[in-house]
Amino acid sequence: MTEQTLLERPLAVPAYSARTSTARRRLNGLLPYAFVIPPALYLLVFMFWPLGKQIYLSLTRTRLANPNRSTFIGLRNYERLLDNPDFYTTLKITLIYSVMAVIVGVAVGLVAALALNRPFPGRTLVRGILLFGWAVPNVAAALVWLWIFNERSGILNTIVTGLGLERVSWLTSTEMALPSILLVTVWQVSPFVMLVMLAALQSVPEEVKEAAVVDGADKLNVFKSVTLPHILPTLQLVSLLVMVWSIRRFDIIYLLTGGGPVGSTSTLIVKLRQVAFENHDLGLSSAYGVVGLMLALSVAAIHALFNHRRQKMSSR
Amino acid sequence: MPQITMKGVSKNFGDVTVIPQFDASIDDGEFLVLLGPSGCGKSTLLRMIAGLTGITSGTLGFDGEDVNEWTPSRRGVAFVFQSYALYPHMTVRENIAFPLLMDAFRKWHHIPLVSSVMRWKLMRRPDIVERTNQIAEQLELTPLMNRRPASLSGGQRQRVALARSLVRDPSLYLLDEPLSNLDAKLRTQMRSEISTLHQRVRKTFVYVTHDQVEAMTMATKIIVMNRGEIQQIGTPDEIYEHPANTFVARFVGAPPMNLLPVRQQGQQLTLEAGATFTHPGQLPADKELILGLRPERLRLQPAEQPGIPVEVSVVEKLGAEVILGCRVLHPGGGQSGDLLRQDLVFVRISGNPHVAIGTRASLGYDAAGVNWYSPQTGKALHPAAAPLLSCSA
Repeated sequence: MTEQTLLERPLAVPAYSARTSTARRRLNGLLPYAFVIPPALYLLVFMFWPLGKQIYLSLTRTRLANPNRSTFIGLRNYERLLDNPDFYTTLKITLIYSVMAVIVGVAVGLVAALALNRPFPGRTLVRGILLFGWAVPNVAAALVWLWIFNERSGILNTIVTGLGLERVSWLTSTEMALPSILLVTVWQVSPFVMLVMLAALQSVPEEVKEAAVVDGADKLNVFKSVTLPHILPTLQLVSLLVMVWSIRRFDIIYLLTGGGPVGSTSTLIVKLRQVAFENHDLGLSSAYGVVGLMLALSVAAIHALFNHRRQKMSSR
Repeated sequence: MPQITMKGVSKNFGDVTVIPQFDASIDDGEFLVLLGPSGCGKSTLLRMIAGLTGITSGTLGFDGEDVNEWTPSRRGVAFVFQSYALYPHMTVRENIAFPLLMDAFRKWHHIPLVSSVMRWKLMRRPDIVERTNQIAEQLELTPLMNRRPASLSGGQRQRVALARSLVRDPSLYLLDEPLSNLDAKLRTQMRSEISTLHQRVRKTFVYVTHDQVEAMTMATKIIVMNRGEIQQIGTPDEIYEHPANTFVARFVGAPPMNLLPVRQQGQQLTLEAGATFTHPGQLPADKELILGLRPERLRLQPAEQPGIPVEVSVVEKLGAEVILGCRVLHPGGGQSGDLLRQDLVFVRISGNPHVAIGTRASLGYDAAGVNWYSPQTGKALHPAAAPLLSCSA
């Protein structure tokens, strides 16, 4: 090997490295797409396309018997909705159910989280038991609750009659059906709220709470001045989730009451099923679905607004 | 202002004893520093004084009254946390005014809505506004009053924490390593600000730190702690000049005190390395001794002069002074022992004498600057008398 060749060798290495690094740069540039494309495709096929189809269907007259033959009728389905007094009842029931599920579910979950945030013997066991409601599949839970609510042999009425009171028609009276369904919803939702809020509570800096104690704050003021502001973003997020889940909850309501009696538990989603599969009107049922979507989106928008405001305030 | 007394105070966490027994008192207006390494129990002790941590046994007294069961707010103390512990969602004004708000808060104010209205009203009450503004002005926080902690620098947050503790005019200030999160320059500045604050308010300060510079510069009295036990109580000068044991001698001072194990034969001292030199003063009676010398007490002399024979191994130039790390030489001229196992003998010299690494020299000292320790107990020993002689020529 001559001296000239030896001198050339180091020059050849950077040329090779440059080629490799260019290829690597290109590969690195494509890598994010490789990660993003599968979920994007999933969302496109299973979320946005059906959503688009639903919005389109809500603007057509489409029968279940022949879903591929639709006639475009513009906003006629929405006009039918707004002219129908049943729609307002359904909307009212949906709002009452969702708002009450948020208020009671979040309150119960928060109280449970606050209780579990304090050390006591058997805390882990109690936490596990409280999570049970969340872990049980909805259908199984509905069947168990059907038995609990049973007017003749249910445990609730056994207790009620044992107390010397009259039997209660938990699921078959218009007054009791919605509160009964709310009870099951709270039983299902509050363990999730508890779990999330417990995580938030455990992240509250101990020193800030101690500073408040030294500054003369009593327990309630420590909670209001330190704990609550710290967990508020999580509380808002959990409330949003519970609200959206409640707007679109179907299985529990359908299995327990089927929307009855006399439509007293008929929420937008239960009504949607009824219009689509009993009245065979896909166009109108899609309009119900779009209204439900708008409701969920407006709740999310309010949450985003609060979030934005809070971030703006804290950065000042 | 209370006089604080701790009699047999101890603290256990389960089976772990953090403080076995603590007996000390803190006088009115004193700036007491609890100094010790991490995990020595100094923060636990401070938290026990504040009432944030319970006392396992013993008595904590304020002016002779047992306060073991008193709540933190009843003790009327101010506590500055290491992390500042500011309320992140409140403005600087709200943070400073919070203790005043809590003082004015009544039980019925907890009624929903009333609570918010009362807080709003209290924040506008003239005496609270005036006091908040006054404290903010003292600590130069006026332009930051409407900002939130997230948008403040470390030093500004520290000042807000101090302002919050000052606003109630407490009789006792407890500070738990309040400067440890600041950079060196800001720490120096805040150090002098806290000292000035102490002189101005003339209240009792109890300050926890592991930084001996903070302790030496701010304290009127220092308690050096190790493993939950008091090692020495004294003024900064006493702690520095006459450490009670080898732990204090090594912990206080940077570089630490040089501790050289020696064997005495008359006035002759023999180092472990074998080098022999004559001590210029009185010696304790023990045969085996530890010779303690602060780096600034040693003089670098020509190798021919009597003293400890060394070779310069490390030169640290600090601008106004130079720290030399020296290795003791064997009688034959070689360095003693393993490079890593053998401690360096540090010498502090003012200015920059341009000493090169590898220079062989002799270290001289005055007998007055020597501390003696027992190798068995580590405790200080005292010679009968120490005449002011020098071992240099």
